[in-house]
Amino acid sequence: MILSRFAGLAALVALLALDASGAHAQQMQKVTVGLLKLSSSGAVMIAREKGYFREQGLDADLKFFTAAQQVPVAVTSGDADFGVTGLTAGFYNLAGRGALKIIGAQSREEKGYQLNAYMVTNKAAEGGFANLKDFAGKRLAITTTGSTFHYSIGILAAKYGFDVKSVTLVPLQSLPNMAAAFKGAQVDATIAPVTVARQLEAEGAGKIIGWVGDETPWQLGALFTSPKLITEKRATVEKFVRAYAKGARDYHLAFNARDKGQEVRGPGYDEAIALLAKSLEQPVERVRVGLPYVDPEARLNVGDVYNQVAFWQSVALVDRTVDAKAILDLSFVKGHFNLPK
Amino acid sequence: MSEARPVTFRGGGFVVVPKKGAALVAFVGLIALWEVSVRFGWISPIFLPSPTSVVEAFWELAVSGTLWLHIGQSLKRLLGGWTLGTVGGLALGFAIGVWSLSRAVGLPLVSALFPIPKIALLPLLILWLGIGETSKVATIALGVFFPTVIATFSAIDGVPRNLIRMGQSFNLPAADVLRKIVLPGALPGILAGFRITASIGLILLVSAEMIGAEHGIGAFILQAGNLMQTDQLLAGVVMLSVLGLLIGTGLNRLERRLLRWR
Repeated sequence: MILSRFAGLAALVALLALDASGAHAQQMQKVTVGLLKLSSSGAVMIAREKGYFREQGLDADLKFFTAAQQVPVAVTSGDADFGVTGLTAGFYNLAGRGALKIIGAQSREEKGYQLNAYMVTNKAAEGGFANLKDFAGKRLAITTTGSTFHYSIGILAAKYGFDVKSVTLVPLQSLPNMAAAFKGAQVDATIAPVTVARQLEAEGAGKIIGWVGDETPWQLGALFTSPKLITEKRATVEKFVRAYAKGARDYHLAFNARDKGQEVRGPGYDEAIALLAKSLEQPVERVRVGLPYVDPEARLNVGDVYNQVAFWQSVALVDRTVDAKAILDLSFVKGHFNLPK
Repeated sequence: MSEARPVTFRGGGFVVVPKKGAALVAFVGLIALWEVSVRFGWISPIFLPSPTSVVEAFWELAVSGTLWLHIGQSLKRLLGGWTLGTVGGLALGFAIGVWSLSRAVGLPLVSALFPIPKIALLPLLILWLGIGETSKVATIALGVFFPTVIATFSAIDGVPRNLIRMGQSFNLPAADVLRKIVLPGALPGILAGFRITASIGLILLVSAEMIGAEHGIGAFILQAGNLMQTDQLLAGVVMLSVLGLLIGTGLNRLERRLLRWR
């Protein structure tokens, strides 16, 4: 008797709880974010895991993609409300047709952050290829035409004054293909992400001769959405950016600190790295390597976005009509820097 | 005695009657509908560029001369890879079809190796054969080889046994049985296999040209996709379709010539 009364009470409590959570969920607005399983999108993952989106009344659903070009396509088609990924020529071609607007920063190449390495094969090194100025006339393996690697060699060329058209770009469509061509010394050099670069070096396939961040800091990735969402649901975008920036702040505190080029573990490091490892479905040790620089307030290097558009247009991969100003909406984040006059 | 009653012919059901122009009308109608949908904004040009913009992209390619470069490079790879795969496939297919020992060994091997996706092997192919023409031709040859083997030995299995037994009971030498009975009997099946492998070759062109190709229809399609230049992407796809159509027509001619005995 007592037992059944107790059970009834428990059921009542459970029912109430269920009802409360149901009402709660109703207030939550669902938003979908397209991104890749990379630590460069760590701010989104931290913001989600720590409930920053919920604080803003947003139920953020993360949709993971396998290639950078799929994310802007998903935002264009409406399958995702927001996108966070690397900036490619394909992105600018889509954005230039009025389908996307950049509203904040993702990660960037920054001095002291080892993200992407310039590598030369042993054979090329024996032939005297030891310096970053020596790229002219060489064969460079990249993933795809118009990729972030392609832009990286473009700005390196501008820095060291060689013609980027004198470098033979060999697009191999994927990192495994790129690594295979490098191992077989089918190319002279490559630009590879830190994990691939370290492995290639450990296998004795070649050596690292520099880091993109040290040579040419640039705005690697961005947070973007559709112009439609901005005009129709501006408040939602504002809430999203607020939560995103809070995640970026946590990321910054935990991972961005450096002391004489050495990584310093900041406050909340252990918690943040565990959250990232969980979201990325990778062991903690692997996540530790190659954490990129993420601006604490999601501020963009605006001048570099202009520069990217100009570079792609100079190699005829982005349409001449694309205007960098038209694809940026700088009103959501304060303090964007390097603004062109 | 009774009056002859006129009987209408009722047995004409499902006879294929050539309808000239019907295909053309259907094609033109579809393309017109497509163009109109984009023009009136029912479909966003970001998702589906209009036929005129595809034609424009095509025209630009033709004028600049890169079109021929792409087609030339791809044809070379296709021809090389298809020939290599077909010759190898025919040889093994015949061996499996004719000799029991090679069947016992070859059949399980083909079953085990056929389903391996060629794209998954690309890094290995690059390591073994480099990123020059060899690995591109090999990708196509590998894709063509296995279906040819299967088409060939299945065609040989399909040759009526009683014809072979008749030849043997007339004391025809084994070589003659093969040349005069098995080969012609298997030919329709083998040619049907060619139709399939020619299309497979075209499909694999895109995979083959993932390996650092500067020019070629596949390389062009890949680049257009990466750059989200959808009009050029579709222009590349049209190139593949036209090539497929031409190869199909060529095979029709070949079939008519080789199978005249029927």
